[in-house]
Amino acid sequence: MADPAVMAGGFSAVRSGGGKATSSPAENYQLARRRTLQVVVSSLLTECGFESAEKAAVESLTEMIQSYISEVGRCAKAYCEHTARITPTLSDTVVTLIEMGFNVNTLPVYAKRSQRMVITAPPVTNAPVIPKALIAGQKRTHPSHIPSHFPEFPDPHTYIKTPTFREPVSDYQVVREKAASQRRDVERALTRFMAKTGETQSLFKDDITAFPLIAARPSSIPYLSALLPSELELQTLEETDSSEQDDQTDSENTFLSDDPGADKENSMLPPGGVVPSVKASEENMIDNPYLRPVKKPKVRRKK
Amino acid sequence: MNRKKDKGFESPRPFKLTHQVVCINNINFQRKSVIGFVELTIFPTVVNLNRIKLNSKQCRIYRVRVNDLEAPFIYNDPTLEVCHHESKQRNLNYFSSAYTAAVSAVDPDAGHGELVIKVPSELWKQGDEMNVLKVYIEFSLDQPKGGLHFVVPDVEGSMAERGAHVFSFGYQNSTRFWFPCVDSYSELCTWKLEFTVDASMVAVSCGDLVETVYTHDMRKKTFHYVLPIPTAASNISLSVGPFEILVDPYMHEVTHFCLPQLLPLLKHSMSYLHEIFEFYEEILTCRYPYSCFKTVFVDEAYVQVSSYASMSIFSTNLLHSAMIIDQTPLTRQCLAQALAQQFFGCFISRMSWADEWVLKGISGYIYGLYLKKTFGVNQYRHWIKEELDKMVEYELKMGGLPVSSNGHLTCPTPHLHFSIKHPHTLSWKYYKMFQCKAHLVMRLIENRISMEFMLQVFNKLLSLASTASSQKYQSHMWSQMLVSTHSFLKSISNVSGKDIGPLIKQWVDQSAVVKFFGSFAFNRKRNVLELEIRQDYTSSGTQKYVGPIKVTVQELDGSFNHTLQIEENSLKHDIPCHSKSRRNKKKKIPLMNGEEVDMDLSAMDADSPLLWIRIDPDMSILRKVEFEQADFMWQYQLRYERDVVAQEESILALEKFPTPASRLALTDILEQDQCFYKVRQGACFCLAKIANSMMSTWTGPPAMKSLFTRMFCCKSCPNIVKTNTFISFQSYFLQKTMPVAMAQLRDIQNLCPKDVLNFILDLIKYNDNRKNKFSDNYYRAELIDALTNSLTPAISISNEVRTVDNLNGDVRLILEEITRSLNMEKLLPSYRNTITVSCLRAIRMLQKNGHIPSDPSLFKSYAEYGHFVDVRVAALEAVVDYTRVDRSSVELQWLLNMVQNDPAHYIRHKILSMLGKNPPFTKAAESPLCNEALVDQLWKLMNSGTSHDWRLRCDAVNLYYTLFGLTRPSCLPLPELGLVLNLKEKKAVLNPTIKPEQGPDTTEMTGITMGGLITMETVSSVSMSSGVAPPPQGLKRKLDSVVGPLGSSSPEPGQVLQEEDTSKKFKIRVRISSAEDEIDMESPHDSQAFIHHHLNILERPSTPGKEPPAVDQAVLSLPVTPLPSSFGKESTSSSKHSGDHHHHHHHHEHKKKKKKKHKHKHKHKHESKDKERDSHAFSNSPASGRSVRSPSMSD
Repeated sequence: MADPAVMAGGFSAVRSGGGKATSSPAENYQLARRRTLQVVVSSLLTECGFESAEKAAVESLTEMIQSYISEVGRCAKAYCEHTARITPTLSDTVVTLIEMGFNVNTLPVYAKRSQRMVITAPPVTNAPVIPKALIAGQKRTHPSHIPSHFPEFPDPHTYIKTPTFREPVSDYQVVREKAASQRRDVERALTRFMAKTGETQSLFKDDITAFPLIAARPSSIPYLSALLPSELELQTLEETDSSEQDDQTDSENTFLSDDPGADKENSMLPPGGVVPSVKASEENMIDNPYLRPVKKPKVRRKK
Repeated sequence: MNRKKDKGFESPRPFKLTHQVVCINNINFQRKSVIGFVELTIFPTVVNLNRIKLNSKQCRIYRVRVNDLEAPFIYNDPTLEVCHHESKQRNLNYFSSAYTAAVSAVDPDAGHGELVIKVPSELWKQGDEMNVLKVYIEFSLDQPKGGLHFVVPDVEGSMAERGAHVFSFGYQNSTRFWFPCVDSYSELCTWKLEFTVDASMVAVSCGDLVETVYTHDMRKKTFHYVLPIPTAASNISLSVGPFEILVDPYMHEVTHFCLPQLLPLLKHSMSYLHEIFEFYEEILTCRYPYSCFKTVFVDEAYVQVSSYASMSIFSTNLLHSAMIIDQTPLTRQCLAQALAQQFFGCFISRMSWADEWVLKGISGYIYGLYLKKTFGVNQYRHWIKEELDKMVEYELKMGGLPVSSNGHLTCPTPHLHFSIKHPHTLSWKYYKMFQCKAHLVMRLIENRISMEFMLQVFNKLLSLASTASSQKYQSHMWSQMLVSTHSFLKSISNVSGKDIGPLIKQWVDQSAVVKFFGSFAFNRKRNVLELEIRQDYTSSGTQKYVGPIKVTVQELDGSFNHTLQIEENSLKHDIPCHSKSRRNKKKKIPLMNGEEVDMDLSAMDADSPLLWIRIDPDMSILRKVEFEQADFMWQYQLRYERDVVAQEESILALEKFPTPASRLALTDILEQDQCFYKVRQGACFCLAKIANSMMSTWTGPPAMKSLFTRMFCCKSCPNIVKTNTFISFQSYFLQKTMPVAMAQLRDIQNLCPKDVLNFILDLIKYNDNRKNKFSDNYYRAELIDALTNSLTPAISISNEVRTVDNLNGDVRLILEEITRSLNMEKLLPSYRNTITVSCLRAIRMLQKNGHIPSDPSLFKSYAEYGHFVDVRVAALEAVVDYTRVDRSSVELQWLLNMVQNDPAHYIRHKILSMLGKNPPFTKAAESPLCNEALVDQLWKLMNSGTSHDWRLRCDAVNLYYTLFGLTRPSCLPLPELGLVLNLKEKKAVLNPTIKPEQGPDTTEMTGITMGGLITMETVSSVSMSSGVAPPPQGLKRKLDSVVGPLGSSSPEPGQVLQEEDTSKKFKIRVRISSAEDEIDMESPHDSQAFIHHHLNILERPSTPGKEPPAVDQAVLSLPVTPLPSSFGKESTSSSKHSGDHHHHHHHHEHKKKKKKKHKHKHKHKHESKDKERDSHAFSNSPASGRSVRSPSMSD
């Protein structure tokens, strides 16, 4: 029993020193079961005609059988719960075995085989004590429409909400104030950061850090940034556009499609007017000299 | 000029142009050059046509052939340098007349031109048979300074990816800048235009695009345009660039072009163009004359709108998205103007400059009709009033604004510093006002003959023209497409049967406006209104008006119109009143428009039934009216008169009546949302003024605050403004204006009340645009403007340096806002950078008021090329202001440098006009800036530096006028007292104090030019001996370092001796010639002239009372040691002018280059550069000389 073993049942791995007695009752319980399994494996090996086995092989086989049995248990439990019960029945186990590819019919024959060895029952050990869950307050009794066989209510602390935060402020003035100061703080922090990390210009000679201005940087194509709406504005536009579509009564308020390429038709909508019916269908048929294909040069014949 | 009363148009040329081909084969964006040819088909109208005069500027002409025969030609452009060899005059009268003469000498309307082609003699005989001549001219343009503008952004990628483009521009007829032509609006012909451009580019030009063909290598394509409608060369244009193409969804003949990435904006901005088309076509009952129309939006545009035959070029800055409110009407107006000019200006052209007013008048008039229809009668009347006021103000200031230079009277215009005989000599402001007056006069004609007849006249002009235009090969018919004052008047009298001669005589031929003063008394006994109307016709810019005038009197019983006759001596007019003075019962009062309203009549005079009186309410005279009536009458007028003009007049008048009643009337108007928004905006400012006058008696919160709170703030928390929606534009405009007006309020200490400032700061703080579908950039910009308005001068304790620590608390808050906004703009730029513009203005205001140190460097960085044009203009305005306030010559130099070198023509123009508006000094005041160097620099600028741009040259003339006046600048030494021996004008006024630093230049030059000095050897040696007299210590250092190695014996031809005679107090200057004069010496003739000229100078009579200058005297006085004190002064000023040195330095180098070219007298910087570069290839190019013959000519 030198190797650490993973216990079945999903319990945490228990590390035990080789040959050392363990004090915890839960561990004793499990060790006893494990020992029984080892005996089972050994007897089966004997039954099969082995005279001796390496310890490591026995350990592996024990591990396998333990996994198998655990899986049968887990699965049977699942089937049982699936049918709204809490205790597995025989049929649950049978279904499980079938599911795991075991031919159930062979089981009675196998059980009654002649050469089988009888092993001693495992020593009786105290079942491990399940630590008592914290109980806070009275459990609720079932209301009349729930049959009493149904599980009890859990502890009240698991479902009773405990208000631990303050009510969000919904006062308009405060919200506006907060939004304003938040925006201002963000803007100030951002511009200060930009000013700190880049070139700056200053209004004062004595303290050039006092009111830092991000240095003016000429751009090659200045009209683009000055004329095109910024992404933020486009976003705003999109939001207001979708939320306030009914408001578009004003003839001036035609909306630009924010995607220049995709939505050609919409953006050309007239202000409050009627779209010329021919337009959409004849888009490709417009005879405009600038849309005509460029001609190939005439081949000059030189003679 | 060329107009005969009875006959049609008579060409000033001995030939008739019928067709012209323009072919541009190559446009190189890298080198900014253009190569091409033109072919003009002309019919001689005289026998033996031996010379053909054409217009061409700055083009390099390689060859000219007439009917395949090489033809000699002469190229002479006198406008390149207006005054040659002129060193002393420096007065504007002289310049103006010389400039007018130069422009006249090449005026196409008089049959002249810069390019004179000699028809080969073989063809003379053919001339008898009046055969057609084909004139073929090959030309190129290299880095054109005018006519064509290249925009080549400095980024990675191909030219198309960089958004490089080129377009033609100019003021009036300027086509000669980019191809040889007859650059007159009266010479029409048909056109074939071909442009070969890179395959990724589009060439947009006049007429129909017939086809686009690839070149053989498939890397370029050729755009073939045909313009079958006879058109003047001046109306031909071109733009080439990687344009995005948008076919108008409503009119497929209309195509819009914009620069890459702007297509979404273009789509939105052009979405209403078809409405304008429909409107004009409907009122004119005439189809748009061309078969297609193109709009092109370009960067760095010369003007916002320029119209050419079948196309218009706009500034790209007119494009906007749907989120922008303020730009929308402006862009529509620009489109409407452009389209109006398509009919009148492009399709219908003019006979001569004197007839220009008709075209500008009609296009302005129909544009006004469009305004009325689209923006409403209020907007229209407001606009008319605005235009009238502007024009009247200009006329009174300038002393008259003749619209037609060719009237029945030859208008003497001695009061103007420019000639109005040519469009190219006009000041830009005059041109603006000219257009303004032209459309106002059209409106007067409409008043006389009715709109119906007016439109019939237009229709007649158009249908005559379109009939004529379809007449092919009958070019004599084409003159029907030209309008003249005479033909216009004839159409009017034919259509309406009315003679409007007197009207034209009064407003077109005669300059000046009418100035009325009105007052009245009510005679209770006779129940008569005694109205007195006086006129001021003695002060400048005014004229006497005789004729009818309409007076509207609002009485208790209604509104009554009276037409009074203004006669020679009658001042008083008795107008019977309809109502009895005692008002009976409570009765509604009928208004002019039929509306009946209840009024609170308690304010009015119990004895009088008069509510208000208006003189000439329809603005049917070009006049200014000052009328006196009681304050309550103005208040009634403001509240109840429905005409916006009357409301605006009363707002203006109420400024003089700071009473609670006025306050109430204004507040009521502000609250009345039926009222025109511009009136309400005006009321805001008036209310602020009244509040300031009533400071001691004012009760309640600051003016407009509670009103604003009620209108725009939240109900639950009145200190917080509502989130922006801007659904109602009227409220939007009011919301924008009110804080700006409120910031003008002042308390007893003359500070902006704390309440108001905090209020504005809160508006900025709580501004929330997240739920708005419109951009709030203009609103935020105006809030910054409001902060600017709230600033008052800092209390300064002596002249301490402004530091952060002694910043006033309020100002600190303001500055914080401004810094944050300006920084945010870098991250999230607003439309047209409106916020940056406002912030720059605010910072300048802070500097000016002494809150922060005055420093132009920030503005200079924003003024650099590469910022958005509005930002640049705002920054430049601040620099201009700084220059004036701090009298900084460094900044002035910097500005003038930019005028010469900036790539954007609009910026150059803007700098000069801003300098003119806010001059660093004026002729009346003394200033350290006013010195010879500056005079010289400006003189050079207008004399030769701006020959590529008519408008810029006139701007320079304007500035010169503002700074120095018409006569010789006072800072120049009196010419009689200076002995100026050289002919080289630039040398003549070199500031003597900077001589030492110029040692190397001048000395080097002397080495080359020694020959030229021979005639004056004696003098120069004398000057040398004294010139090397030990300089005072201040200059010593410079001299040692610069002149030292050359040795003190090296002669300095520009050496100036200055000697202060304590008893006589005048200066004697001796200047020794240098530079180019010896070039002339090479030919015996020139040297004769040279000597002769010098003799003349010596013999020139002096001003009476002053001692005549003589060489003897100069020589005699030379040994006198200069007084150290005078030198000391000079040395300080010399360091100030260090900015000049660079400039002069260039100049000298330039001259050296010139020396290699002995033939060329002409000094033009641009061309000499060309020369140097291409000296091998084009060493004998005729295009650069003044009177250089082409090789074939000299054969």
